[in-house]
Amino acid sequence: MSRLDTPLWITGAALLALLWVAPFLYAVWTAIHPSAYEAHFTLTAPLTWANFVTAWHAAPFARYFLNTFLLVTGITAAQFVLCTLAAYGFARFRFPGAGILFALVLLQLLVMPDILIVENYQTIRALNLVDTLGAVALPYVASGFGIFLIRQTFMTVPHELDDAARIEGAGPLKILWRVYVPLARPTYIAYGLVSVSYHWNNFLWPLIVTNSVTTRPVTVGLSVFATTDSGVEWSVINAATLMTSAPLLIAFLLFQRQFVQSFMRAGIK
Amino acid sequence: MFGPMIKGAAGAAALALLAAMPARAADAVNLQFYFPVAVGGGAANVIQSLTDDYEKAHPEVKIDPIYAGSYQDTIAKVITAARGGNAPQIAVALSTDMFTLLDDNLILPFDDYAKGDEGKKWLGGFYPAFMENSQLDGKTYGIPFQRSTPVLYWNKDAFKAAGLNPEKAPQTWAEMAEDAKKLTRRDASGNVTQWGIRIPTQGFPYWLFQGLVAENGGKLANAEGTETYFDSKPVVEALQYLVDLSTKDKAMEPGLTGWGSAPKAFFEGQIAMMWTTTGNLTNVRKNAPFPFGVAMLPKMKSRGAPTGGGNFYLFKGSSPEQLTAAVKFIEWITAPEQSAKWTMATGYVAPRPATWDTPTMQKYAEDFPPVLVARDQLKYAVAELSTHENQRVTQILNDGLEAAITGQKTPEQAMKEAQKKADAILAAYR
Repeated sequence: MSRLDTPLWITGAALLALLWVAPFLYAVWTAIHPSAYEAHFTLTAPLTWANFVTAWHAAPFARYFLNTFLLVTGITAAQFVLCTLAAYGFARFRFPGAGILFALVLLQLLVMPDILIVENYQTIRALNLVDTLGAVALPYVASGFGIFLIRQTFMTVPHELDDAARIEGAGPLKILWRVYVPLARPTYIAYGLVSVSYHWNNFLWPLIVTNSVTTRPVTVGLSVFATTDSGVEWSVINAATLMTSAPLLIAFLLFQRQFVQSFMRAGIK
Repeated sequence: MFGPMIKGAAGAAALALLAAMPARAADAVNLQFYFPVAVGGGAANVIQSLTDDYEKAHPEVKIDPIYAGSYQDTIAKVITAARGGNAPQIAVALSTDMFTLLDDNLILPFDDYAKGDEGKKWLGGFYPAFMENSQLDGKTYGIPFQRSTPVLYWNKDAFKAAGLNPEKAPQTWAEMAEDAKKLTRRDASGNVTQWGIRIPTQGFPYWLFQGLVAENGGKLANAEGTETYFDSKPVVEALQYLVDLSTKDKAMEPGLTGWGSAPKAFFEGQIAMMWTTTGNLTNVRKNAPFPFGVAMLPKMKSRGAPTGGGNFYLFKGSSPEQLTAAVKFIEWITAPEQSAKWTMATGYVAPRPATWDTPTMQKYAEDFPPVLVARDQLKYAVAELSTHENQRVTQILNDGLEAAITGQKTPEQAMKEAQKKADAILAAYR
């Protein structure tokens, strides 16, 4: 980068950042002001928490938050276990049909989960799991993306480390736990972040497969505000949106450095 | 010798006692009821409290009301569950989804469960305009519940400022265009500060457009859902009028204008008149900082307006006991008292004349006469566009309308092309 185009880069980056942050700023503005100030930006506008209170009482959000939290941690934990074991198998073991099996796993990346909704619903119903948190999680735990990503990371682990551990008398599972998993930490963080934010925001499948307050995530609660027939109350919607996305935003801000580094190392962009 | 006889008698008595006992919760009939929410005002809570009331009065029935998102989400959830062999007994979905649900073979007619004179009386007690989307071949597949129709809202202060009579809304197309021109205000540099009118066109322009078509004596489709008339003269003329409001009269903001933002723009004086659903009435009443009026849509050849909103449907795949109980519940919730509660909480038009005769509704209408405009307009209302493959056909019309509104095509050209595409799809159903 020459000295001349540095300002250009900075302006460009600033513009992009502004573009990105504008909707967020607007959401904050409308959420903390009465609805009369939705389109009037005066600094003296009175501040209010009323929008948050209205939003909180429009649906049983406390329970929804608990459900989302259980769901997201459950899915991510199950994905880590399953994907790690599968990835280890594909990365370091030779067995007949490995190529075809791996191709099948990759095929999963090509299929949009939404296409499988009816099929998945039938399976869940056959298992008698409709309207449970498990039903929301089950279609996602064997993640093709996770297997692929972790496999690629495991492939980069030098064979010498593997051999050294074996000479020390470690079995395959111990090698996995002591050598591969620690080395793949950035990948886990990056994948965990993608998975958590995806499932935090997932809407259609949870809506379809759950019926009761005890199993529904926050996104379903949020949709109560999509009152298209009677005009949209931006201040309440934005208060609710901020409320439901706050845990993720705060977590990201806290761990920002780790996340950014992980993404760079894991190569997900 | 008497032993066994006494035992037998005691046993019989016990059996009789059991049979006579009211059904307990354990053998109650369970019903699932999916519903969407498209208006504010805690509509989901109102449904919950209504079903609670019903359960209290009828302990033999357990109803599980399940909020299912928007109309689109609800239909997705219903169809998925039904294909998965787990259909609810009752769901509220768009009245226009009738053909889709019939094509998928998922719903049952109400006639088989609402039998006798009483059943007939109930089915016959709805406004005919709402039943148009709900019946096919003499059978009733939908029971009107959360139904609406568009009306014209006007800002009385803006009328006064423009030298118009603030108590008189435009009655004809020509008057509306004239008034809208006078109401459009520009600042010194020629920028518009207040548009005369907005007929929102974003997302689903076909709905309000259907009002224009009906007023012009036209029709978008036949009742069987197998033919469309997009390129007919009344339809093309209606589109020309809509386009002219922006291009010739310069009284309506050009391009696609939003639905959700229309009330806001109205409150802030950016538009002086708007067409939008009666579902907005409570919102406008609460938030408009000026006196406003509500009127029927203006006429060309006649008055006219589409209806919209959701119906109850009855789903296949349940026991006869469940279906009978489901229909009983729907009869109850559409009865005048419950229907009045629902209308006042949401702003939907009560779908039965009997509801308007209840003391609660009469008092409500006395306090706030604009609620009657939608009801009175119902006699001119037509069924919302609904055909086989409804989503695809409606999308074709929407695309055509948008192309004309944004000036990419002439109204005639856009409608000709839309008709051709619709024909290709509907040919299979003729």
